[in-house]
Amino acid sequence: MLWYKSWMETRWVFLIGLLVASCVAASVVLVWPKVMGLLPLAATIDPNGKLGQEIRESAAQVADYRSYIVSQWFAKNLRQIASLFGILLGSGGLLSQAAGGAALFTLSMPVSRKKLLATRATAGLAELGVLTVGASLMIPLFSPSVGKSYGAGETLLNSMALWIAASVFFSLTFFLSTVFTDIWRPLLIALGVAIGVSIVRPFLHIAPGYMVFDATSSGSAYAGDLPWRGLLVRVALSAALLYGAVINIQRRDF
Amino acid sequence: MSDRLTIETSALRKNYDGVEALRGLDLQVPAGSIYGFLGRNGAGKTTTMKVLLGMARPTAGAARVFGLAAGDRNASVDIRSRTGFVSEEKSLYGYMTVERIIRFTAAFYPKWRRDLEQRYVRAFELPLDRRVKALSLGTRSKLMLLLALCRGTELLMIDEPTAGLDPAVTEEVLQALVAYVSGEGATVFFSSHQIAEVEQIADRVSIIHRGRAVVAGALDELRERFRRVQLVFDGEAPAPAFRAAGIVRAQRNGRSITVLSSAGADAVIEEARAWKPISVDVVPVTLKDIFLETVREEQ
Repeated sequence: MLWYKSWMETRWVFLIGLLVASCVAASVVLVWPKVMGLLPLAATIDPNGKLGQEIRESAAQVADYRSYIVSQWFAKNLRQIASLFGILLGSGGLLSQAAGGAALFTLSMPVSRKKLLATRATAGLAELGVLTVGASLMIPLFSPSVGKSYGAGETLLNSMALWIAASVFFSLTFFLSTVFTDIWRPLLIALGVAIGVSIVRPFLHIAPGYMVFDATSSGSAYAGDLPWRGLLVRVALSAALLYGAVINIQRRDF
Repeated sequence: MSDRLTIETSALRKNYDGVEALRGLDLQVPAGSIYGFLGRNGAGKTTTMKVLLGMARPTAGAARVFGLAAGDRNASVDIRSRTGFVSEEKSLYGYMTVERIIRFTAAFYPKWRRDLEQRYVRAFELPLDRRVKALSLGTRSKLMLLLALCRGTELLMIDEPTAGLDPAVTEEVLQALVAYVSGEGATVFFSSHQIAEVEQIADRVSIIHRGRAVVAGALDELRERFRRVQLVFDGEAPAPAFRAAGIVRAQRNGRSITVLSSAGADAVIEEARAWKPISVDVVPVTLKDIFLETVREEQ
């Protein structure tokens, strides 16, 4: 029944996220012919200017369908959508319920606080996983409609890597939700962190093995060399934040 | 009612950010009793319940429910599995329907009383398909009471059961509590500052003031023990310096002294005789009198 409660509290965020992500994934595939139609224009741009150089590089990247999907869907759109909905799914919980009084009803149940949090975290992470992987499956599904194909196996691999990456933002918001009693501060702080990371990211010299998706990832990003170190760091970070959340809630008086 | 204690606290203290909510609370709630926990706003009633249910950790002292330490995380789960609780806020999950929240709660209690559930759904006229957020305070209070009563638990802990309810719903709630105790042999521990309702259903009471129990005992026994003695003198009344045990308050006002004693009137009269009063009146006191006198702040 705790699963049911978690589902009821997050279902709209999850369903809206799944719908938005699926639509964006499908549109990324469906606009590919138009992008290809624009590619000859890139050749007319002055290659000496910095902007022109970047446009020509991007054009070269999207010329290959697989590279186009990785750069436009996994490295850009899905990363942003998964981070955003990870933050939204991680918000709420016992403390914000406490402000409305319903937390006392929850806490009067014969269930430990650890179990309450574990259920909510597992349900939220599962929803984020379904959102990330489910929406990505639009790619192999719609690719034949533009005369292309994209492997389901590669889709699963890439989307699961992004799920792990986005889990950090879920866990961060989940942790912050055990610190602040309102729903807004955890959301705003986590969003601020996500935006801050995306701004400073291009200026950081992070070793390739620690990057889950670089904005300039090529189509062969995960051809046998998953960024294990990057994924492990993110799993460890998520685990630490979730553990911190449990400690916070167990210590707290209601 | 038996000699077994369902709830026992000893020198229980609870501090919140430097504020002393409980300051050495001693409480003994016998099994099978309807125990009224009286106190002013902020006296520590809700904090006591939260500590007993593991929602807040005690700062010092002991709190035991069914003989289990309330501050222990594992024992606390066991305590909650044997306790039905209704909070003062009467807040539930607004997104669930009445039917759904009943099924949700029932899933946690193997001894859930389906027969009681059906009886109270009818008696309280609960709309099963309506969402909780659409219920009035009175209906929500009755739903919360149903959710506590049907757990099949040995203890009901209710924080301000009738707060905000109209007299008709209040009566329904109180009657449901009495029926539950007589039918199931459970213990009811409820807090209130509605003295009339405590007098109506409680067989034992404790008055808590500033985090300490200042009066505790069986209601009949308290009514028997507490006496107001009014002494009138010929001239100015002497300073009311009594040595007798159980003096709650002694107040001089011109030619008279009014004494509230928790140990009967005999010792007070005996001592006052030396001052040669011209008249002595002994008046029985109500629970309201006891409450007002024991929680009254000194000016």
